[in-house]
Amino acid sequence: MTDHTHSSDPTQRPGLPARLLGIAAFLLLVFVLVPLFIRITGRWDFYYTLTSVALLSVAAAGVWLTFYIGRINIGQGAYALTGGYVSAILIMKYGVSFWLTLPLAGLFCAVVSVGIGLPILRLRGVYFAMVTLVLTEVARLTALALPITNGAKGITSIPLPGELSIFGLTIIPDFATLQNPKLAFYLMAALLMVLTYLVLWRIVNSRLGHLCRSLQQNEELSASIGVNTAMLRVLAYAISSFFGGLAGAIFVAISQSIYPSSFVVNDSVNFMLYCFLGGLGYVFGPMLGTLLLYFGWDLLSVAKEYQLLIYSGTMIALMLVLPNGVLSLLDRKGGRK
Amino acid sequence: MEQILANGLYLGAQYALIALGLTLIFSLMNVLNFAHGQMYVFGGFVTYTVVAQLGLPFIVGLLASAVVLAVMGALIEKFLFRPVIRRSKRDESTMLLAAGIAFFLDAVILLLFGEKQRGVPKIVNGVFNWDMRLIMPYDRILIAMAAVALIVGFILFMQYSRTGRAMRALAQDRVAAQLMGVDVDRYSMIGFAMGAMLAGLVGGLLVTITGINLGMGGPTSVKAFLMIMIGGAGVISGAIAGGFILGMMESVGLTVLAAYGDITYLVIFVTLMIFLAIRPQGLMGKPWG
Amino acid sequence: MKRRVFLATTGLSLALAVASGSAAWAENAKLKIGFVGVTSGPAAAWGISNQRSMETRAAWLNELGGVKIGDTTYDVEIVPFDDQKDPKRAIAGMEKMAQDGIHYVVGPNVDDGAAAVRPVAEQNGIMYFPYAFPKELYTPPASNAILGMVANYQSGPAIYKYLMENSGVKTVAFVAANESDPLSQRDGGVEAAKALGLDVVSASVTYQVDTTDFTPVLLPVIQTAPDLLVLSGVSPANAPQLIRSARELGYTGLISTETAQDATVLAEGAGELANGFISVGGASTPELASDTMKEFVERYTKMFGEYNDESNTKVYALEYIIETLKANPAAIDNVDEFKKTMDTFSAPNPFMVGDATLTYVGMTSFGQKRQVSVPLVVNEFKDGKFETLFVAQVD
Repeated sequence: MTDHTHSSDPTQRPGLPARLLGIAAFLLLVFVLVPLFIRITGRWDFYYTLTSVALLSVAAAGVWLTFYIGRINIGQGAYALTGGYVSAILIMKYGVSFWLTLPLAGLFCAVVSVGIGLPILRLRGVYFAMVTLVLTEVARLTALALPITNGAKGITSIPLPGELSIFGLTIIPDFATLQNPKLAFYLMAALLMVLTYLVLWRIVNSRLGHLCRSLQQNEELSASIGVNTAMLRVLAYAISSFFGGLAGAIFVAISQSIYPSSFVVNDSVNFMLYCFLGGLGYVFGPMLGTLLLYFGWDLLSVAKEYQLLIYSGTMIALMLVLPNGVLSLLDRKGGRK
Repeated sequence: MEQILANGLYLGAQYALIALGLTLIFSLMNVLNFAHGQMYVFGGFVTYTVVAQLGLPFIVGLLASAVVLAVMGALIEKFLFRPVIRRSKRDESTMLLAAGIAFFLDAVILLLFGEKQRGVPKIVNGVFNWDMRLIMPYDRILIAMAAVALIVGFILFMQYSRTGRAMRALAQDRVAAQLMGVDVDRYSMIGFAMGAMLAGLVGGLLVTITGINLGMGGPTSVKAFLMIMIGGAGVISGAIAGGFILGMMESVGLTVLAAYGDITYLVIFVTLMIFLAIRPQGLMGKPWG
Repeated sequence: MKRRVFLATTGLSLALAVASGSAAWAENAKLKIGFVGVTSGPAAAWGISNQRSMETRAAWLNELGGVKIGDTTYDVEIVPFDDQKDPKRAIAGMEKMAQDGIHYVVGPNVDDGAAAVRPVAEQNGIMYFPYAFPKELYTPPASNAILGMVANYQSGPAIYKYLMENSGVKTVAFVAANESDPLSQRDGGVEAAKALGLDVVSASVTYQVDTTDFTPVLLPVIQTAPDLLVLSGVSPANAPQLIRSARELGYTGLISTETAQDATVLAEGAGELANGFISVGGASTPELASDTMKEFVERYTKMFGEYNDESNTKVYALEYIIETLKANPAAIDNVDEFKKTMDTFSAPNPFMVGDATLTYVGMTSFGQKRQVSVPLVVNEFKDGKFETLFVAQVD
């Protein structure tokens, strides 16, 4: 447990120039190389898969943040669903522009999560994990029961995101008029992902992140030295849920429909698994975890009936070899026994 | 009213038995076994294969389920959980492993036993009917009694046998137990095997009544989690209490809230969340750090 | 572990068959037909029976030398994708189909998936055959989805009417799982029952799909003593348990559902108690099944070890695709041609005795022909088998 700080402490990472270079390379990869690769190979279906990866990793980033304060969050699906419904209802019932519903969906989730988080964040370990798991099911059943969500019939035929303009200047064109909305969705999701991880990285490297780490290690101790632990936990949880809501809202825009079963317990569990697989001690862990698990499943579809067998077998093997996540490969030299 | 209570008790008995295995594994190793439900399903299919396809008596099927699952549990502990627990920095990492095992078992079950719902013929026919006030088929009564007998047997075993005592010591304080000369590895393995065996036995018992299909694994795990949360994670008596309480809640809730239909389970789940928020350690548990 | 050995041998022979098959007919062009549905997890039974029906029929057609569309002879190749009952995955599956240049896809199996893939299908020119009932999928402006079976709002009224006339049913109760598809079907059923003048005595009871004991669920329903108990959108896994619990609680009225069921599952799960249970199937009963249908069942059983009665309805979609393509070869990579042909298309139904035909229907329900015409065969379960109660047509 003691060597823990070691790997999760980002200040131990390479110096500033190297880091900037890394970021530049990453941006180049996401915004230039990937579209180029798809253009050359003609694998247009990768756009949707990668869009999904980007969006799911946004939600997973939230889960990672709750891990960061020492809470196992298996309830992110609830917020993704809520965010999706907020966006869908605002668009369909009130004619609000998609672009406005996006932050609203996130904010709504953040507000809801404060109400839910205040009581349940007092729980720890598996208790918190289980309550959040129940939360996902509660969200699904609520969506089924409420009149505004249109219950079991879901909300369908939602229009594509419209034009976003300020003072008559078009910033984002109407998706319906685009030749390739897939590319537009990809760019939007990738941009959101980059921003999310930038925020996450900023948080981890700030005073807030430092406090979160202290919370993860010993809550009583941090409380005794004057950290407002309750406030800190709720804040982290609200940010986490904000991410969940954003991801949910964009998914709804892509599928142009939402049902109570659009995000279920399995999704919540998957978000958690993405974090584990990537590595809990690394900011970019959930991103890599999502890529490996989600993309991996798609690629494995060639294995037909053995798909799940190979997928789960690989997952177990990875866990055996790298129990601290794939990114722990990076610090093999230090910290290990 | 009698009927509602009887339904609750029957449900409770089977739930408690499922929760026992899960809580045993949790108390010994701090592992939340996501694959518990899949083990239950596997046990059910083993009994089905032995009874319905090989035509052997039901009791043989049950024994086969117990043995197969115990061996599976022991192997999973020794070759999967033990190395991962030893090397991972955070205890929770085992959750990914457990989930991986759950998926893996799902895949194996699908390949071995197929996608269809399976069941074996009733072991006893007839329905106990007390003046239409209380109706309970005999096979249900029998299974409920078998479940209670297993629970009692389990408690006695944990209380009085050497192995049971060693496991309790281990659950209370791993380090202290080790210092006192308890072979931690050995008893972790036995404990995991027993937990898996219990899951397999419930699967075998219930295949005569509810049947079995590969989809029941995940939801069963989640339900078992709920039960041990209600009672208090890692506490044997808590798991039993949790099982019976959830059984009663469902039985009473379904009747009382029948008129409101769609929200029955919503109410049950929200009640649970509120209860846990008020009493984070469950009924009998100790708060976990 | 008979099954394991059996599985290994089928697997091996299958691999051999595939290997030798591709060698023998290597000269034929490939006609790829997609399948996007759920073949793992709790609802695996739906998708698996679907996929296997397609694979059985495809292997059979290829063995006969392939299908001749226009001047080209094609081997049929099924490209499956497991969406895990997740609408997000279903989209990925449809994208993959588009990538593979596939224009005809069977599935998805559930409402949310079918709605989610609609944008992709429309953007990429894909016709798809969902097994989901929401009307907006099939009514204009939607035009790429074709309902692959009889919808509950079509079969329900027919069944209720028949039972009112023949069994004197006056009161009806509904139970459904608390999920989108079953709840929508329940609401549709309640509406239809009321329109027919039936007295709906209970329609609010729902259950979790993972319920292991249905006695508490059914207790309040049985207390209303309905003449007919409808299990709306019941999954094959839950049906026997619901029937058993209802009967054991002393319920003596009729029980029915509007979804397809499997006779073996019913026999194993509920035994004699399932006698009289009414469900919907394709040309499943001996007196309706043609020799082709019987051979199909045989081949399916040979390939996969055990037949699934749900395939009685699921055998049709692939047949419709191929026959329509034969009728208009230009449709092979152009779904607009396909849509044009649909209005007038007609071919003999190979799976049913008599002169039944394959045509597209749905004018009444959707205002356009966006449904395959599958005979609406209403079955009654009796001692391990289905018996035909009556046959109707959907228009």
